[in-house]
Amino acid sequence: MGVASAMAPNRKGRWSNELNGYSLLAVWLVGFFVFTFGPTIASIYLSFTDYDLVNAPYWVGMENYVRIATDDPKFRESLHVTFMYVAMSVPLKLLMALAVAMALNKGLKGLTLYRAIFYLPSLLGGSVAIAILWQQFFSTDGIMTYLMRYLGYEGPGWISTPDHALHTLVILSVWQFGSPMIIFLAGLRQIPRDMYEAASIDGASRVRQFFRITLPLLTPVMFFNVVMQTIDAFKAFTPAFIVSNGTGGPVNSTLFYTLYLYQEAFAFLRMGNASALAVILVIIIAVFTAIAFATSKLWVHYDD
Amino acid sequence: MTDATVAATPALPMRGENDEVQKSSLFRSALLHAVLIALSFIMLYPLLWMFASSFRTNGEIYNNLSIIPETLNPRNYIAGWNALKVSFGTFAWNSLIIAVLTVIGNVMSCSLTAFAFTRLNYRGRHFWFAIMLGTLMMPQHAVLIPQYVMFLKMGWIDTYLPLIVPKFFACDAFFIFLMVQFFRQIPRELDEAAVMDGCGPWRIYFRIILPLSTPVLATAAIFSFIWSWGDFFGPLVFLNETKSYTVQLGLRSFVDSTAISDWVGLFAMSCLALLPVFFVFLFFQRLLIEGIATTGMKR
Amino acid sequence: MAKLVLDNVFKRFDSTEIIHGVSFDIKPGEFVVFVGPSGCGKSTLLRMIAGLETVSAGNIYLDDERVNDVPPAKRGIAMVFQSYALYPHMTVYGNLAFGLETMRAPKAEIEQRVAKAAKILQIEPLLKRKPKQLSGGQRQRVAIGRAIVREPRVFLFDEPLSNLDAELRVQMRVEIAALHKELGTTMIYVTHDQVEAMTLADRIVVLRAGVVEQIGSPLELYNTPQNKFVAGFIGSPKMNFLDVSVVQSNTGMTTFNLAGTAVTLPVEAAVSAPGMAIGVRPEHIVAGSAGVSLGHMTVNHVEQLGGNAFVYGQLSDGQALTLSLEGQQNIHSGQQIPIGIDPALCHVFDAEGRTLPRRKTDPAHDAAPASAEVLSG
Repeated sequence: MGVASAMAPNRKGRWSNELNGYSLLAVWLVGFFVFTFGPTIASIYLSFTDYDLVNAPYWVGMENYVRIATDDPKFRESLHVTFMYVAMSVPLKLLMALAVAMALNKGLKGLTLYRAIFYLPSLLGGSVAIAILWQQFFSTDGIMTYLMRYLGYEGPGWISTPDHALHTLVILSVWQFGSPMIIFLAGLRQIPRDMYEAASIDGASRVRQFFRITLPLLTPVMFFNVVMQTIDAFKAFTPAFIVSNGTGGPVNSTLFYTLYLYQEAFAFLRMGNASALAVILVIIIAVFTAIAFATSKLWVHYDD
Repeated sequence: MTDATVAATPALPMRGENDEVQKSSLFRSALLHAVLIALSFIMLYPLLWMFASSFRTNGEIYNNLSIIPETLNPRNYIAGWNALKVSFGTFAWNSLIIAVLTVIGNVMSCSLTAFAFTRLNYRGRHFWFAIMLGTLMMPQHAVLIPQYVMFLKMGWIDTYLPLIVPKFFACDAFFIFLMVQFFRQIPRELDEAAVMDGCGPWRIYFRIILPLSTPVLATAAIFSFIWSWGDFFGPLVFLNETKSYTVQLGLRSFVDSTAISDWVGLFAMSCLALLPVFFVFLFFQRLLIEGIATTGMKR
Repeated sequence: MAKLVLDNVFKRFDSTEIIHGVSFDIKPGEFVVFVGPSGCGKSTLLRMIAGLETVSAGNIYLDDERVNDVPPAKRGIAMVFQSYALYPHMTVYGNLAFGLETMRAPKAEIEQRVAKAAKILQIEPLLKRKPKQLSGGQRQRVAIGRAIVREPRVFLFDEPLSNLDAELRVQMRVEIAALHKELGTTMIYVTHDQVEAMTLADRIVVLRAGVVEQIGSPLELYNTPQNKFVAGFIGSPKMNFLDVSVVQSNTGMTTFNLAGTAVTLPVEAAVSAPGMAIGVRPEHIVAGSAGVSLGHMTVNHVEQLGGNAFVYGQLSDGQALTLSLEGQQNIHSGQQIPIGIDPALCHVFDAEGRTLPRRKTDPAHDAAPASAEVLSG
């Protein structure tokens, strides 16, 4: 109950709690309605119109959605690229994050330094500068291509190969495993040490300890990481934009959904269609989140 | 989370000779260090290579794996700085203004909102809190087009207002969430003592909660700065004039203008673009890491 | 000094009722302790008086002014919290001055009042320190000091000693009692520790499950508990409750069967009354044949405390019994010892746990016409 009710007795009467609360929440409420809720509703409205910023929105009903669903190869390609990106980058990144967190949790000296080094790419990775670097790395005469020649790969740089361009972005994403790693590490820290001691005395092997203690107790953190990383992956934009020069090429192989949306809106000024794409993206993320939460009861272990 | 050297996995010598156990655990930790050092090298290699290459000529970077610059001649930096019609200094200044205002806006508005969500009780609080958590998952793209139209009608395009004003209205739910996690740990009795001392909610916020929350405020400020500095999408949409460009947009125009022939100039400017973030990281990495860690924890 | 009146006060959280109509008066300058097991509503009651919780129904009057809707700070009340709730980022001086600053008191007055409070509590050397740099006892003093500078009409203490170690707790207890003498202010003190209640209070309010069980001076509660709960709650070790059945009832005299022994006491009870119990404090039972015999007890365990001894055992029917005997006793496990009781120190409870009234004419410590004999069969 706390302070909460603490503020209750007041001459202003029984609504004084609300008066206080909403006066403090007002800033957020204004922001929410003006910059989030209002635009969301407007997005839904615009998605049923043709709108080019110059002429007034023209109501076309479901037309945008119908076209997207039936007659829009770029939509399907962008969806495919995005799903591939999510499906590859999220598991790889999280596996990497978990493995390194486990290694760092062994009480080694220099943990702070390792942790800092592994975290640094997470801070820098989304920037234009790194995307530029990646573009060089995987270009035909880039360093990675040069290195891969030693491994027997002969050919153009991955960045200009439709089959591999997306892989370079997946690698870029995995390179930024630091932030989920830190969350895993914090989660590992919260597992009481005596649980392992008890398990050791019970004769449980290290492998068994991992599967029976570490993993179950880490599931809440895992859940958080999966949800956040997946949402982030759906929203990815900058690297694809830079390495493909805003085109999503080669041959639409890096045409992220957000990139397609951006093109529709700001290159072709098809605001209605772009709004429909935005609505679909929100629905995809909402459905994914709902599924994650619905299935979480089956595999996420909560103490309480 | 503060003690970096606590081990959660004990190495229990169960059986066998003590010496042997010690030897094998020594070997194991040496192996682990070797792996981690190798991984550290891989992680840092791209950054180090870019830094080294920013001192080379375009001809020198091909097939050159070395991360040790042969010279520290700043010619690429000088050339890159003035490569566009507008100097890189202008971009940096623009980025700085936006970042500083973003920091101020986020810290003020998000702490106030987090306070309203954690320390007060009123009808509808839980409802709005759930809504706020929902906005955490909202992609920016969902609201982008109407926002663009709105800002266009208000004449805000090509000004920094679209990038700054929302920050003063607690539009970044991540920071609210971060602060909520922190505020929840401050004992309720402090607020009650303050109520007995005659404080209203505003005075509790300013005199009790804010002074006790400097770590989380600093964390939020640092993340705000880094993300604002690195933001590409927002400026890309809302800024058109080269002279109002941020560093990120400037870099991107550099790519366009050279059609990727002047890699080393790009690298030099890229290094400059990363530099502020790198320094912030260097000085505040503990706050950043703790901040990230708390968002994933259930409290 | 202020008078406080609670008039049929209720507290509900959503649909659960925590306080079920509590009424009592507190006289100016009185030291009143609310005592009861955890969850009895004592803290909630205190917080309602403080103004930290709303009053769902009923009224609270402070010096005849209804204060239900008066904000906490305007009630002229100060509170000492269980965790002290010192502001960690302020110095001791800052902590003491904060309330006065909030009320925009003149700076000179703040300084003077803080100095006065610091002197009373002997914390002058600590004024520049932060709470983190203080020991538990010092923090406690600062918390009290913060209350004193307000010069309140009523002091509220919410289990203020529960975070201290045993030795310090006794010391602070004495200091709080001395403080009350010095200031003479009305004080209300919440605790679950009956020793604190007994030693500090002018009057004790015993609460259980949101209901007042009894109000009275410490000795009233000890000598004449109105029910089994109060009888069991006050006193340590706990009062023994022995199940008995009524054998015979004359006007004002009733004979009970206690594990085969007939015990006659000056109370009225119906022969058929079920669920009767005799309550005897461990310190009122004597080993040996003095007083009214309660038969024999088999000793299970003896705790020698030096100055006294606790003897745990059971009657022939298995009912457990605790004795507290003066001095050092030569009693061992397995031993059978005769025990007896002064009937004037017995309490009889009915099935609902109410204390049966003693016969009015009974002069308490007169040689009561009570007797006991071994019932045959």
